[in-house]
Amino acid sequence: MRPYFEKMPGFGSELKKGQIKRTEKNLEEIKAQEALIAQEVEKVKNAGFPTEKINARGEMTVWQRLEYLVDPGTWCPLHTLYNPADNIEGTTNVIDGLGKISGRWAVIIGFDNKVMAGAWLPGQSENILRATDLSKRLNIPLVWLVNCSGAKLPDQEKFYANRRGAGTPFFRHAELAQLGIPVLAGIYGTNPAGGGYQSISPAVLFAHKNCNIAVGGAGIVSGMAPKGHFDLETAETIIEKAKHFKAVPPGRVEIHYDQTGFFRYVFEEEKGVLDGLKDYMAKIPAYDPVFHRVAEPAPPKYPVEDIYRLLPIEQKTVYDFDEILSRLTDNSEHMEFRPGYGPEVYTGLVKVDGFLAACIGNRQGYLGKNYPEYADYPGFGGKLYRQGLIKMNEFITLCGRDKIPIIWFQDTTGIDVGDEAEKAELLGLGQSQIYSIQQTDIPMMLIVLRKGSAAAHYVLGGPTANRHNAFTLGTAATEIYVMHGETAAVATYSRRLVKEKEAGKPLEPIIDKMNELAQDYRDKSKPLFCAKTGMVDEIIPMNEIRKYMEAFTGAAYQNPRAICPHHQMILPRIIKG
Amino acid sequence: MSEEILAPLAGKIVKMNLQVNQNVEEDDEALVIEAMKMETPVFVPCDGTVKEIRVKEGQDVEEDDVLAVIFNG
Repeated sequence: MRPYFEKMPGFGSELKKGQIKRTEKNLEEIKAQEALIAQEVEKVKNAGFPTEKINARGEMTVWQRLEYLVDPGTWCPLHTLYNPADNIEGTTNVIDGLGKISGRWAVIIGFDNKVMAGAWLPGQSENILRATDLSKRLNIPLVWLVNCSGAKLPDQEKFYANRRGAGTPFFRHAELAQLGIPVLAGIYGTNPAGGGYQSISPAVLFAHKNCNIAVGGAGIVSGMAPKGHFDLETAETIIEKAKHFKAVPPGRVEIHYDQTGFFRYVFEEEKGVLDGLKDYMAKIPAYDPVFHRVAEPAPPKYPVEDIYRLLPIEQKTVYDFDEILSRLTDNSEHMEFRPGYGPEVYTGLVKVDGFLAACIGNRQGYLGKNYPEYADYPGFGGKLYRQGLIKMNEFITLCGRDKIPIIWFQDTTGIDVGDEAEKAELLGLGQSQIYSIQQTDIPMMLIVLRKGSAAAHYVLGGPTANRHNAFTLGTAATEIYVMHGETAAVATYSRRLVKEKEAGKPLEPIIDKMNELAQDYRDKSKPLFCAKTGMVDEIIPMNEIRKYMEAFTGAAYQNPRAICPHHQMILPRIIKG
Repeated sequence: MSEEILAPLAGKIVKMNLQVNQNVEEDDEALVIEAMKMETPVFVPCDGTVKEIRVKEGQDVEEDDVLAVIFNG
C-alpha cells in the first residue's frame, strides 16, 4: 500500500497577501480570547497553597510531579477548567491529560495536593470517570499520582454516594484491570478512607516512604461511639487520640510494605516514585510506531498558525474548511472520499505523525444551485443534507472495517429541516449515523472548531458518543447549544406574542423576556462555560490542535485492540477507484 | 482590462467596502452577502482600481449578478 500512502495528493494553498491583511483583526480577536482562557487556567494552577509552601514541607506539587514524570513536550492537558459543581476551590481537584512517559502514551491523573491536601470534591468523580473512560477507549495505561486526604466532609452529600459518585472510579479501575489495561499509582502523603481506595484500587503501587493508606484515617479512628453531643471530657480524649494518630497514622510503609506487601515498591525520594513509574511504563506493552505508520512523519506544509486567519471568530462568516485541515495533516496531503458528493461535509484519509487517520468536517458556505437535490432552496455548509449524511455513514462504516481512528471537526448549525427534508429521510439518516458510529469499535476525537448545535452535535461524533468519543476539544470560537439563542427565544415566545397582541396588551414585557433568553444562551454557550460544564474536555489554542491530533493518533495506535493489515484495507481502494 | 466581481450566490448585500476609483489589492474583502443567516465575503479578484459599483448595501442580488468592476490595466 506504499503507493497509496507515501505520497497522497496535496491540498491547501499559501495565504495570499490580501488574506493576511484582512484577517489581522480576526487573529487578534482569537488571541485575545485565548489569553482570557489562559488566565482561567492559571487560576486553577494556582489554586490552594502556593508552591513554595508545599515545597517547604519537602513535598512536590502535583504540577511539579507531572513535569518530572511526563516526557517533555508531550503533555496535553484535559479538563483543566472542568468544575461542574461550581466548587469554590475552582477545580474538581484532579489534574489529568494525555502524555508520554518513557516514550509511551498514558492517561495521567493526579490529585492537586495544594488544595485541601488533595481532597475529594464535588464533580471530581465525573472528572475521574472521564479519565478512566479515555484509558479504556484508547487502551493505554492509566497512571495515578495519588495524594488524597479523603472527602471534603462538609460537602460529602454532593459526591460520596450515587451511581457516578466517588466510589465509582474504584470499579472503573477494576474494569480496566479486567480489560488488561494497567493502572499504576504513585502514592504520596496521607490517604485515608476514600484516599485509601484511590491508592489500593490500581494494579501496581509505588509508595513514597512517608505515605500512608488506610481504611480510615486519623480523623476517624480517633473518634468514638456517638453520645449525641460533645462535652469537655470527650474533647480531651479527642485531643489525646488525634495527637497520637498524627504522629503514628495507620497504614504506613511499615504496615503496607513490610506486612501486607500492598506497596510493590517504596522510595526514599519523591522523584524516586516517579522514576519507578517511568521505569514501569517502559515495560508496558506498546507497538513501536513503525508497525502502524504508513509513511514517515512530516509536519504540515503550511503553518498551523494560519488557522488564526482561516477560521473567522465571527460565527456568521463562512470559510474554507479544507484550507484549515491542510494546516493539520502531514505534508498537507490527503485522499478525499467521494469528492463532489455531499459537498457540505469533508470526508477523507490523512496522515498524522505518519499514522493513517480519517477526518470528517463541516464545510461552510453556499453549496451551488442544485444542492440539496431534493429541495428548491439553496444549501449551505454547516447544515447536513441527505448526500452528506449518506456519505458520512459509508465513510464511518468503512473506517470501522479498516480500523482507522476518526478525527471530527464540527461547525454545524444542524440537520436540514422542513417537509422536503423529512421526505429526504434526514431524521432516519441522522439516527443511522449514530448507529454507524456505534457499530464501529474505533477511537474518535472531536474538535468543535466553532459551532456545535442541534442533533448534528450528536451525530458528528460528539461527546454523547460515550463509547467512541475519546475526548472533545473546543477553541476560542466554540459555541455549543441546542439552537441559537434568538431561535430559542422565538420558539419559546412566538405564541405568547400572538396572544398578547390579540388581547391588545403591550408586547414589551415579552420582548424583554426574549432578549433575556437570548442573552442567557450566549452566556451558557461560550468556551469557558463549555469547559466548566464538561461539554468539551479542554479549550485549546488554535496552534495546538495538531499537537492533540498527534497525541490522539499516537495513543490510538499504541496498542490497538484490533488491526487491519494495510494491504487488506478497502477504503483507500474505494477512494482510488 | 477589467474584471467583474460576480455574486457567488443569491442574497442581500450587507456590507460594501468598495468606493469608485479606490485602489484595491487582490483578496481585499470587497463586500459581504448574507443568505440563510450566514455571511459570505466576496473578495477582490485582482490588484487594480474600482471602476464601477453596481449594487448598494441592503440590495438583494441574484447569483452571477455583476456587483462591481475592477480595472486592472
